Formats: sequence, C-alpha cells, structure tokens
Amino acid sequence: MNLVPWSLWLLIASPVCAILAVFFFVRPRKPQWSHWPILGSCALVCLAATDLTSRVYAGMVLDVPVAIWMLGGDWYLPFGFRVDGLGTAVLLMVAWVGALIQVYASGYMKHDPGFSRFVLLFHLFYLAMIGLLVSNNFVQLYLFWELVGVCSYFLIGFWYQKESARRAALQAFLANRVGDFGLMLAVLLLMAMTHGNTSFSSVFRLLPAAPTEMVTLAAFLVFWAATAKSAQFPLYFWLPDAMEGPTPVSALMHAATMVTAGIFLLVRAWPLISSIELLPQLIGWVGAATAIGAGLVACAKTDLKRVLAYSTVSHLGIMAFALGFGETAPAVFHLLTHGFFKAVLFLCVGNIAHALGKASVGVDETGGLAAKMPLTFGCFTAAALSLAGLWPFAGFYSKDSILDAAFHQGGLQAAAGVAIAFLSSFYIFRMLFLSFLGPRREQRGPGHAHEGEPVLGIPVFFLSLGAVGAGWLSGPLSRLLASGWMLRTGMSPVPDWTWNGLFASQACALAGVGAAYFLTTLRPQWDWDWRRRFPRVERLLESDFGWKPTVAAFSALVVEAAGMFSRGWDTRLWDGLVESTADWAKRGGERAASLATGQLNDYLWWMLAGTTGLLYLVLR
Amino acid sequence: MTLSIWGVSVLLFLAGLAMVVLRRQLLAMLLGLELMINSVNIALVYTGSLWADAEALSAALLILAIAAAEVVVGLSLILKLNGAGAPVDSSGLSELKG
Repeated sequence: MNLVPWSLWLLIASPVCAILAVFFFVRPRKPQWSHWPILGSCALVCLAATDLTSRVYAGMVLDVPVAIWMLGGDWYLPFGFRVDGLGTAVLLMVAWVGALIQVYASGYMKHDPGFSRFVLLFHLFYLAMIGLLVSNNFVQLYLFWELVGVCSYFLIGFWYQKESARRAALQAFLANRVGDFGLMLAVLLLMAMTHGNTSFSSVFRLLPAAPTEMVTLAAFLVFWAATAKSAQFPLYFWLPDAMEGPTPVSALMHAATMVTAGIFLLVRAWPLISSIELLPQLIGWVGAATAIGAGLVACAKTDLKRVLAYSTVSHLGIMAFALGFGETAPAVFHLLTHGFFKAVLFLCVGNIAHALGKASVGVDETGGLAAKMPLTFGCFTAAALSLAGLWPFAGFYSKDSILDAAFHQGGLQAAAGVAIAFLSSFYIFRMLFLSFLGPRREQRGPGHAHEGEPVLGIPVFFLSLGAVGAGWLSGPLSRLLASGWMLRTGMSPVPDWTWNGLFASQACALAGVGAAYFLTTLRPQWDWDWRRRFPRVERLLESDFGWKPTVAAFSALVVEAAGMFSRGWDTRLWDGLVESTADWAKRGGERAASLATGQLNDYLWWMLAGTTGLLYLVLR
Repeated sequence: MTLSIWGVSVLLFLAGLAMVVLRRQLLAMLLGLELMINSVNIALVYTGSLWADAEALSAALLILAIAAAEVVVGLSLILKLNGAGAPVDSSGLSELKG
C-alpha cells in the first residue's frame, strides 16, 4: 500500500470529506456557505491531480488493486486504481476545468434557493468523474459511469419546477439508460471471460484466448454505451435538451467532461475495440455523420446554448471520427482542448444570460454586446477561434492532427474533414457576430448589460488561457500519454503535417468565418429570411433531419408494444390463473354445500358412519 | 348368563340407535339416546361385577348422573322450542342447511 502516493488518496478523500462535511454540518446551519469547503476540496484535487500528472510524466505507472469488493468462489470484484498517461491527461483537464467552473458556479448560482443542493450535486459529479478516470477495471468504471449519469439527471432537472427541465432530465436519463444497459451487458460478458477480475490489463491479456463472438459482442456493446454518453448518432438527442440545466452544468458536464467519458471509455477499451474488424471504421463513420449533421443543425439554431450543445455533439463526433483512423491520441488531445474552449464558450453565454437577467438567451435578444462586455467578448473570441481551428489557438493543433489523418486517408474521409472544418467555424462565428457585433435587435429587457462580478470573470479568463494555449503542449502530452499506454499504435498526438493539409484546414476555417461575416453583417436579412423562403429546409433542420420524430415514434412504439405484451401476459396468464383457481374453489364449495342438508338425522348418519369407520380402524 | 346380558345390552343399544337416527320427533330421539346410554350401563355394571371392579361400578354411577343431566338439558330445550311455537320435530330445524 505504501506504493500508492499521497496525492491519489487526497484525490478521492478530499471530495468525499467535503461532501460529507457540507451535507451534515454546513447545509443544515449555513447553506449559503456550502461552497467554501467544496472550493477547498477543488483546490486540493487540483494539487493532487497536478502532482499525479507530474509523477506519471516522470515515468510512474500505477495499477494497484486496493481492496476486494466482492468475493464468491473463484469470482471476485477488485477495487483499484490505475494511474497512467491517458488517465492523468484527462484527469488534469477535468480537475482544473472543473475547479474553475465550480468557482464560477459559486458566484453564478449564489442567489438560487437551491444553492447548497446544487453545490453538493456538482461536487459529487466531480468526484464521480475523477473516480471514473482512475478506475483500473470495468466494473468500477461502470459504477462511476452510472454515478456521473445520475448526477447529470439531477442537475438537468435542477430547476424541477419547470416542466421542460423535468422532461429533459427524464429524456437524458432514459437515453443514457439505453446506452448504459449495453455497457452493463459488456461488463457482464467481460466478467464471464475473466472470472470477475475485469481490470483492464487482465481483460486485454485474456483477449486473444477468449471466444470471438463474445469479444465482438462486448466491443459493440461498449461502443453502444459510448454513443449514449458521448452523444453519438443514434442516441445523441438527449444532449441538446440537457441545456435546460443551469449554465455551469452545461459547461462542465455536458460539454467539457461528462460527455467525453464515452470517448475516454473507447480509448481505454481500444485494445478490445480495435481487435474487431471494421468496428473502428464504423465508429469513424458514425462520428463523421454525427459531426456533420450536428454541425448543420447548429447553423440553424437561435438559442445560444443550443448552438453550443449541437457544437458539442459535433465535436464529440470529430473525436469519434479520429478514432475511426485508429488515431486515439489525437482524439484524446482534442478531448482536452475541447474541454477548455467549450467551457469558455458556455461560461461566456452564462455571463450574457446573467447580464440580461435570463436563464436562456436567443441570438435575437442579443447583439452589440462587445462594447458592454469586453472581457466576455475577448474570451469568447479566443475560444471561438480555438473551436474554429485557426492557428495558433489550441483547437488548431488538436483538430488539425485529426484533419491531417483524414487528409492522409483521402476520398470521403477528407471531404468529411473539410465539411467539419467549415461548419464548426461557420456556426460559431455566426453566433459571435450576431451576439457581440451586430446591432441590438430587440430593445426589451435591461439595455444596460454589463460584466458581472469578478467571480464570473476570473475563471473564464483562466479557462480561456487554456483555450488559447493548451495546443502548444502536444509534445509533453505525447510523452505523458506514452507512460502506461496499452496500445501499439496511435501514441502521439503530433501529426506529420503536410502543407496541403494545413492549407486546406485553414482555408476551410477562414471560409467559415467569411461566410458567417457575409451572412450576418453584409446580408443580415438573409439569415432571417431563409426560414420563410425554405420552410422545408427549416423543418428538416429543426427536426434534426427527421431523427427526433423518428425517435419519438419509435419510443412510443416500444412502449406500446411492451404495454400490449404485458397486458396480454397479465390478462391471459395471471388473471387466468387466479380466476380459474377461484372458480375451482367456488364450484367445489357449492358441491360440498349440498352435503349440508340441515337435517339432524342426516348428520347423525354421517356421524355413525364416521364412528364406525374409526372403530374399524382402531379394532382392525 | 353373560351371553344373554350382552345380548340384551346390544339389542337395547341398537334399538336406541335406530330411534335416534330414524325417528324425527325430538322426544323420541332423546328417549333413544337414554336407551343407548343405559344399555351401555348394563354391560358396564355386569362386567364390573364379574371382576368386582369398584372403578367400573362408580363409572356406571357417574354415567347415570350425566344421563340425568343430559335429560334435563334435552327436555328443557324441547320445552323451550315448544313454548316458542317451533316444531318439536328435527326435520323442521334446518338452519344449518348449506
């Protein structure tokens, strides 16, 4: 046990202690002070995560069983930690981004009556996400996977007085349930394969000996789980509606960290995934379709948070797209930079909403905010440049390492890469021009929008430093990822640049910016007219290319079929069983009643017969 | 001697049984019951005296007392029924009919 460094214990213990302390001591007495222990715990977690990362960077890899959780025969479920390059790279981002967003949230949510509940749930999520990243086996990972899911459910439905929030929370929970069920089945298959010890190293060691069908099924189920958590094509639809939650929740959980857990799981399980032929390609195509589809839909959305939500779906698609080439390290790299710039974008939208005194803001309610909110404007612009993938911002390095792989493949993949690069820069700059530069479209509401207090500004500023500069660290990142990397390939996020690729990606991004400028500033009426001119296109985009109604119809069908089946089961089998038993008893009783004539002499005959019978039995 | 006394006892018992089971009139049924009890008593007294067994003889006395008490209960029930205008006939008393 003395091999486990202190920072690993601190990483888990400090959130646990903070949550318990707030729940039992602070919340009952001074709920408005709930954030102080939590923020202290955030600081400790950042310290611990940084220490762990520096140790791993120096070459330490830790894979220790800590305890046996369950024991039965030759089956056992161990509980342990794995601290390696992949885990700590994501952990470092989660710790710092999470801590900064919690600082922001403690200011943003200060006047909410549910402040203390919010802070507790938010920190519980933080703990669960950290636990997910340092798990060393599939069962433990699944445990934390569900814990982040349930925190997401509680926080989307945080304003439970709102009907739409409740519905969105339920939808997110159910969509994730469909995916999580897949992960559960995969974990059970892996347990059957390894006698319960599902630690990553032992699973991957036993892979070649395991039956092919089992491995194939488990790999597909893992991918299925990732499509739900990381909002990929069949199951992505919960994420845009999840924006009903408070903005810090959208920033931390539904953009920077929780939704990337699916990508993290795929990278973790990559030896399993890549052992199946064509599955990586399938992941790549699903990712490309999601990225392009969500990018197109994002261009048509007016609500600021929804644009960002579809952008998140699109960027998760880009990460899956990268996985399709087996480029795991670039996917992780993009996961990290995306965490920074998307958190900045969400928090900036939160600042706008705070300045306008609203929970959600549409583009038609903003405009001309650049002069009134210079800090927010600056941070938003930096993050938008990063998202669009323009040199030298963080997104450029990570996205280009993916696009570069796509260009090396050529053909359809290259075309998909071009489309993705253009779309992401177009929708984010359309949003930027409309909100910050264009004329104010509506004069209702407080016209005196202004920057919030420092607690709303400072975290955004620090996060935007990450959004600008995180990309310069691809060299150290590749060294970090190398320690404890369980794969033979795809270790380095540093691509072998080609001038053509660089030129293509930058041209696409600049074309997106130009198109956005043209449409919003030079021809502003077009941006509003197209909805009237092409109602069919609008309907197509509003319904996510018809997928939303399809999902609704399909779920209704499933529910109806399940209802009919259970009704048949109930009426035919159970009712029949109960009713026939009752009928049998009733008819038997009627027959027995005919023996009771009420005539004394008849009873005497029976008595005589009984006595005679007994005498015979005794004297025989 | 033994045979005749046992024979009388069995005859009386069967006669009492037939009265109880076959007759419908409550008084007759009560009479049959008395006959059965006392026919058993005859056999008991005779057999007890053969072995000069005091316990058997005292049991016979006890049975006499119980029979007397039973007659009292039975007759008072019949009187009660008669006073209430109910039939003193077992076929009319059929409230236990299922």
